[in-house]
Amino acid sequence: MRVGLLPSENSSYRIIIWFLAIVGILVSSLPVIVVTLMSFSASSNTGFPPSEFSLRWYSEVIAMFTQEDASSAQSVVDSTVTSLLVAVLVMAISTLVCIPLAYALARGERRIREGMELLFTLPLVFPLVILGIAFLLIAESLRLEIGIWRIVIPHVALVIPFVLRNCIGAMQGISVETEEAAISLGASPLRAIWDVVIPLMRAGILAGLIFALIISFNEFTITFFMYTIDVSTLPIWMYSRTVSSLDPSTLALSVFIIFADVVLIVLVDKLIAGRANLF
Amino acid sequence: MMAGIMIRPTKEAAANMEKHTMDNTFSRRRLLATGAGMAATLAMPSIVRAQPLAGKEIRLLTWSDNTGLAILDHIAKPFEEKTGARVIADRTGSTSEMVAKLRAAGDRAQYDVITLAGVGAVELAGDGLLAKPDLNMLPNLKDVDPRFRTGADGHGIGYLLWTGGLIYNTKTFKEPPTSYAQMWDEAHKNRLFLPPATWTDALDTIFATGKLIGGDGTNSAEALAKLAELRNSILTFGENPAQLSELFRSDALDIGGVYAPAFYAAELNDPANSNMGATYDVDEGFFADLMYTITPKSKPGDDETVHAFIDYTLDAEVQGIMAEAVLNGPVNQKAVMSEAAKASPFIIKPEQMGEKAIVHDKSFIAEVREDWITQYTQTLS
Amino acid sequence: MSISLSRRRALAFSLPAIIAILPFLGACFYIFRFSISAEKGVIDGYSIQPYIDLMTPFFGRSVWVTLKLAFVATICAMMLAVPLAFLLTSLKSPFARRCLTVTILLPLILNLLVQAYGWILLLGPSGVLNSTLRGLGIIERPIFLLFNEAGVLLGLIQTSLPLAVFPIVSSVRGLSQEHLEAASSLGASHWRTFFDVTVPLLRPGLVGAASIVFAFNASAFAIPLLLGGRRVQMMGVAIRDMISPLFNWSGAAAAGMILITLTLIVLVFSAWLVRVTSEKVRN
Repeated sequence: MRVGLLPSENSSYRIIIWFLAIVGILVSSLPVIVVTLMSFSASSNTGFPPSEFSLRWYSEVIAMFTQEDASSAQSVVDSTVTSLLVAVLVMAISTLVCIPLAYALARGERRIREGMELLFTLPLVFPLVILGIAFLLIAESLRLEIGIWRIVIPHVALVIPFVLRNCIGAMQGISVETEEAAISLGASPLRAIWDVVIPLMRAGILAGLIFALIISFNEFTITFFMYTIDVSTLPIWMYSRTVSSLDPSTLALSVFIIFADVVLIVLVDKLIAGRANLF
Repeated sequence: MMAGIMIRPTKEAAANMEKHTMDNTFSRRRLLATGAGMAATLAMPSIVRAQPLAGKEIRLLTWSDNTGLAILDHIAKPFEEKTGARVIADRTGSTSEMVAKLRAAGDRAQYDVITLAGVGAVELAGDGLLAKPDLNMLPNLKDVDPRFRTGADGHGIGYLLWTGGLIYNTKTFKEPPTSYAQMWDEAHKNRLFLPPATWTDALDTIFATGKLIGGDGTNSAEALAKLAELRNSILTFGENPAQLSELFRSDALDIGGVYAPAFYAAELNDPANSNMGATYDVDEGFFADLMYTITPKSKPGDDETVHAFIDYTLDAEVQGIMAEAVLNGPVNQKAVMSEAAKASPFIIKPEQMGEKAIVHDKSFIAEVREDWITQYTQTLS
Repeated sequence: MSISLSRRRALAFSLPAIIAILPFLGACFYIFRFSISAEKGVIDGYSIQPYIDLMTPFFGRSVWVTLKLAFVATICAMMLAVPLAFLLTSLKSPFARRCLTVTILLPLILNLLVQAYGWILLLGPSGVLNSTLRGLGIIERPIFLLFNEAGVLLGLIQTSLPLAVFPIVSSVRGLSQEHLEAASSLGASHWRTFFDVTVPLLRPGLVGAASIVFAFNASAFAIPLLLGGRRVQMMGVAIRDMISPLFNWSGAAAAGMILITLTLIVLVFSAWLVRVTSEKVRN
């Protein structure tokens, strides 16, 4: 049992911790709750809370996906597929490069580690607008024809800080002795990493994967500069919708996107973590 | 009421209308209002004419707001049906974002046709990125009011008038306000909005304030000093039209401008729910900005299709439908409009562009733009 | 025998990540180069004019507002994140844990425009809160929680909360139970244990999380636009305005460099703080 973090007996400490946690939950979820309620509204322009409920906006969303006409406009289906593809590529690449790096940093010298950590935090620090235009100008001046990688490459840089931090956090819990034990039993150092260290890192890797997936799937600012008429993502599609109107069908679509994200999270959780899940 | 003037559409047109309704919640209302025109344009071409541009493709960049949406519904789709060409549309961004993207792309444009505000056309033309359309390939141009045919040194073809006036709360104002001076009324403190600095409407606001205090509009220093008085009265800048609509609906805003009623075609038809009204009939005048279609030098598509599309934006029926759908002022003098649209106070027709209409000299705006935007930002936030 | 990582292997392990981040480093260099360009719209010649042009009281205030809001938002986000992390690690039911995780991740998922709409319905001048308070006769005039610094603060706290919670969760998982048990068996009160044992042990994780949150908040631009009603001039907004419609790209790059430098100073300082304090704890 965890002592001291969340005691079961009543005390001022317990009350305040619970209070702050509940405030945190409300801050995170209130807009989503409101938007979800509004998306079930029966009419198109009443206030909150809605007086009557219906599923009409959801049937519009379904129609959007199924009855997409072949002509004009970026199709929501194509955008969704592109978004998924980008997110999966970004997730795979960023995790594959971050695991060995996290290992090297955790076992390497502290000074190098601090410098490298700072270097790999940089993408988080840069204002995204300026980064977006820089990526665009570079891509155009190099005359790159790289399709979906236009978006994948900047996204990878963007999620690396999150993935790396999670992987490093996971490495910190793994003592050198565990690895040594495997090596003394005859395993090669690489084998020891593969068989012993990586399974122990699993929770951290998984957290990183999920962050990469969510951030890439929902990234807007850099994608806004990098998308082309042929390679566009769901947040871009969503943006053009929300500018013209915030009607309940847009809200229903948002709820749908949240749902898609949650499914993705659960899927990754199940696929990668098996029964020993992270959450 | 509308049923009386509605021509019974063909099956295909009916199916199309159904699709429109699915695509956009506001379409239903709009369709009812524009039923006659819609049915006629949608029904006719597929029966009467062959499809001369079958297999061709053009790439269109247009605004993300509801004007952009209307362009897809009322220009791109019927154009496809009429000609057989395919219009791939990108509906993301404001004029300045478009200019940024087009500049960055340089001589590798991914679009064939772009619709944008006059300032943007002038800037891109100045960069040498635009081609001059061949006016002989645009037969509809002869019906366009000569003042609004071309711009940006022949690089832009005018296709609608974007007009800005005052937006007000119909609950607060029984009669439409008649002067921008209303915005300074203490009663509207914290219930006032202004256009964001990054929009041309902000320049118009400075101009209107200049006229309000007795100048000719170019007296920006005094105008900004006057605007500074509003600093603590502003609830928000209208960065997002949909957000403003919600604030009016919930009765949190009284007045604001200079802003385009075009964002609120649906709301203005339903003031009982939206609380929104708009007026151009203001002492200091209203603002009209010619919007252009342009085509980049290095466009990927072919000339014929591009010109056919630009010409189609000027079609008398298309112009009428666009006017009704998003309250844009038509430039085609023969624009086919319903009686309701002809009487609508929100649609400015070319013949109404009299004394009260302020159309900026593009070179003047280009000159003061950067300075005014910066000062407006610094004065008000 | 100890596992010592040879230089070569360390390099081999780091290389893929370095390659992956190379385009980004290229972009960084590009931005730096742009910030000393003599032309506003293209890279041409050298000049420090873009930086000189930024030396105005207005930009100074913008820097101040940015740092202030990012700092306050970070403190608030941390105060909410620590209890959330405690709660998340204490929950026994995997289902409850999953629900809480997803709830905390929500701000990262939902389109910001739509979130802002949700907040307007709740906290706007005629939102649920104001109309309830007015209905109860508690207030006469609406309280303005949006379209000012309060609104921006709320938005920053909300969007950065997930970034704070998860690093803290992994630190909490790594907490040694013996320390906590020893403290509580010595009869220390919960507060004493919290401040004297838990917080010092968590400090590296806390400072790490806080620095991410700070960096994230300092470069925000969508939140001040949507929940600040554009009235709160954070640097992110100023940079956006310079990119379009002012097309002063060299100025935007220079402002970006200043923002990055300031943020890096904060990050390096906090890394130093971690080292000093963790050495103190070890002693």
